[in-house]
Amino acid sequence: MDPQQPEPVSYLCGDCGAENTLKPGDVIQCRECGYRILYKKRTRRIVQYEAR
Amino acid sequence: MPKKGTKKGKSADDEPKEQNKLPEHLEVQRTRVVCKADAPTEGFQYAGAFAAMGIDNSVSVDKFCKNFKVMVNRLTEDDMEFDMIGIDASIANAFRRILIAEVPTMAIEKVLMVDNTSVIADEVLSHRLGLIPLDADPRLFEYISENDVPNERNTIVYKLHVSCKRGSPRLTVKSGDLEWLPEGSQLPLASPAQSGDKQKTYTSFGQSQKDIFEKPLGVKFKDITIARLGPGQAIELEVHAVKGVGKVHAKWSPVATAWYRMLPEVVFREEIRDDAAEKLVKKCPVNVFDIEDLGNGEKRAVVARPRACTLCRECVMGPTGEQVELRRVRDHFIFTIESTGALPPEVLFTEAVRNLEEKCERVISELS
Amino acid sequence: MRHRREGNTPHTAAAVSAPLSALPPPGGVMEHGSVTDSTASTFSIMDEDHTLANSVRFVLNQDPRVAFCGYSIPHPADNKVNIRVQTTGDSAKDVLKDSLQDLMVMCQHVRGTLDTAVTDFRQNNPTDMNVDLNKK
Repeated sequence: MDPQQPEPVSYLCGDCGAENTLKPGDVIQCRECGYRILYKKRTRRIVQYEAR
Repeated sequence: MPKKGTKKGKSADDEPKEQNKLPEHLEVQRTRVVCKADAPTEGFQYAGAFAAMGIDNSVSVDKFCKNFKVMVNRLTEDDMEFDMIGIDASIANAFRRILIAEVPTMAIEKVLMVDNTSVIADEVLSHRLGLIPLDADPRLFEYISENDVPNERNTIVYKLHVSCKRGSPRLTVKSGDLEWLPEGSQLPLASPAQSGDKQKTYTSFGQSQKDIFEKPLGVKFKDITIARLGPGQAIELEVHAVKGVGKVHAKWSPVATAWYRMLPEVVFREEIRDDAAEKLVKKCPVNVFDIEDLGNGEKRAVVARPRACTLCRECVMGPTGEQVELRRVRDHFIFTIESTGALPPEVLFTEAVRNLEEKCERVISELS
Repeated sequence: MRHRREGNTPHTAAAVSAPLSALPPPGGVMEHGSVTDSTASTFSIMDEDHTLANSVRFVLNQDPRVAFCGYSIPHPADNKVNIRVQTTGDSAKDVLKDSLQDLMVMCQHVRGTLDTAVTDFRQNNPTDMNVDLNKK
């Protein structure tokens, strides 16, 4: 049990859309274009909806 | 709401004639609905309405079975138009109501969203999926309730997995992209403590649906746009379709719509000639009237296509309105049924009639 | 509150009916009538609406044994319909049952007639698919 998230989380750059894996403590910056706004990816959990 | 009819009590002198026929104006009131410029006028509906005159106004079952007629006008794979003659409005309406709300169909109910990076929100996408008509005969399926396990007899599973590659133009996701999964769900249920082959999924299919149903259970129309994807966007989901009725949600209604109208009847109170006739013919938007040449340059208006009348009342409005009388035949219904495709329209109507029979049976057994 | 239609019974009959606060009957049909007078009752049917009630009311009206009949929906949110039957002497329950039987027979006849008509139509128009007699 790693107290700080064990898996590196990947974020999407707002500009070029490239995936960046960041660890806690990293500078928040896209590795390819330098854009500083990164979005989190959609959850992998299966969400159930009623088609109504 | 009983229709209170008043007995047209005539004096004793006009008592039963030998041939037991009603005087004409009463006969019109009995069998026709007169549509005046402002509103229709009703007639009488109970068995004893003309008892004082010796006329039997009742519609017993024997009389009904003898006089009832059906004439089919148009019958295609998806819709039909037919005439029912000799039936009452309450029963015709019952059939219409059952067709719209109580004949079951299959429609998508559960949407398991794995990935949706499109611009269409999850719930909006789910709503759209629910409205897609499926080509599955609902009579071959069972209803599913809260505690039931989804199996091959009560659920149909489809999968949708589309993505738009970077650099490609925008992609339109159509209903034809839904793939049928005859073996059941492919998504594993959340419990991680599974090993070996036995992976629990969202459904438990005992056998493949391919072996049970001869026809592949696809969607009826493959060109319905579900969503549009830009480059880099993807949709991955699985849906379960179950049996239901339109009363619960309109997606389960088997008809695009079903409606009826009473046969229109257009009658001239006085003869209309020459200029007035020309004007009348022009007034009608559906060309119910025609000109008949009488020779000597005289013209007369005749009713050519009364069935096409939409009751817009153009011909009865205005100063010349009293010359034309618009009527509806009370027991002649022109029924139109437009099916969404799961069942052919004549089967739908038969199912609706059967549904009414079952309702009666249910009440009879409860009463005993 | 026009909850139940009472007929004009000349004598005061001992009206016995289930209390209004009772749970809906598991059967789905409750008869509110009087113990001594079986010719007039109100039948409260669960899970029904105008579809069945109006059709049954029509068939009841055609029966000469019926002195009065009508239906009402006490509240649109409740799935219940009240059918009132007053007869000229027979038990109201029997008359209602007969009318429901008649309605069933009529339905069966409708089905049969439609099937014959469809078969005839298909025979006379074998090109099938997209035949429209209106366009002739």
